Amino acid sequence: MNDQLLAAVSQYGAPALFGIVAIAAIGVPLPITLLLIVAGSMISQGAMNPWWAIGAASAGSILGDQAGYAIGRWGGPAVVEKIGGLFGSRASLRAAQAKAKAWGGPGIYITRWLLSPLGPCINLASGMAGYPWHRFLFWDILGELTGAALYISLGRFFSDRVMALYSVLGDLTWAAVALLAAVILGFQLVARLRRHTAGC
Amino acid sequence: MVAIAGTFGFAYRAGRQVRRIRTENEPIRAWMSVPFIAHAHHLPASLLFQAIGVQPREPRDRRSIRRIAHDLNRSVPELIAQLQRAIDAAAQPPGGHPR
Repeated sequence: MNDQLLAAVSQYGAPALFGIVAIAAIGVPLPITLLLIVAGSMISQGAMNPWWAIGAASAGSILGDQAGYAIGRWGGPAVVEKIGGLFGSRASLRAAQAKAKAWGGPGIYITRWLLSPLGPCINLASGMAGYPWHRFLFWDILGELTGAALYISLGRFFSDRVMALYSVLGDLTWAAVALLAAVILGFQLVARLRRHTAGC
Repeated sequence: MVAIAGTFGFAYRAGRQVRRIRTENEPIRAWMSVPFIAHAHHLPASLLFQAIGVQPREPRDRRSIRRIAHDLNRSVPELIAQLQRAIDAAAQPPGGHPR
């Protein structure tokens, strides 16, 4: 299916990009980073307008994110349970809800473009946690614009190496996730050691 | 420890990929269009269309290789092999040594 989506963006440009990123933002796992890189490469070939590409990608993602938030906030327990099943167990959705509360705006921002696989889960969790909509919208727009501009620009600069660039970005994303985990665990370890020392 | 090892492991893999970017050519995939492949290999699209015996439908014929193969009733691997041969031939200067 990924081949067909990439071919659709390559052939139909910005409208196809808009539709695919909107579906992905709701929670369907699609290779959005690769699509944005391909869009950047097409800009470099003169086959797509850069503003249309960034606009379509951002607008599609924001629309999908808002749908996810609205389902979480106003969808009711039955709908949330059904959609939440896409992201794993009820426990993992609760964990995401707790993270959405703890991370707040910066968490929403970073899951739009750096830790993007967590994005759809955070949308739903933010809605369920009752995170204020105007704040969610602000961080969402900022994050999606950052992501679209970043990946499309990278695709534009490395327009003749899109597949290789995609592999590099995949590894860098996992490195960032591992680094974040190391930092969080490190802080927790230090805090626990301090508590232990204070208790002695 | 696992998280730290993961950080270094993925960063190392990314570094290795960056080195490969500079030395290896982009592989041809079924979703790519002929102008896209031509751009990746710095060749005119007309040369690749000619190599697979296709008259472009419009100035910017952006059909994927899979779609062209379907339209011509040919297999995707066959078309990709033909394109690869044309790219390899274009990379050979008249003397016969690779560029």
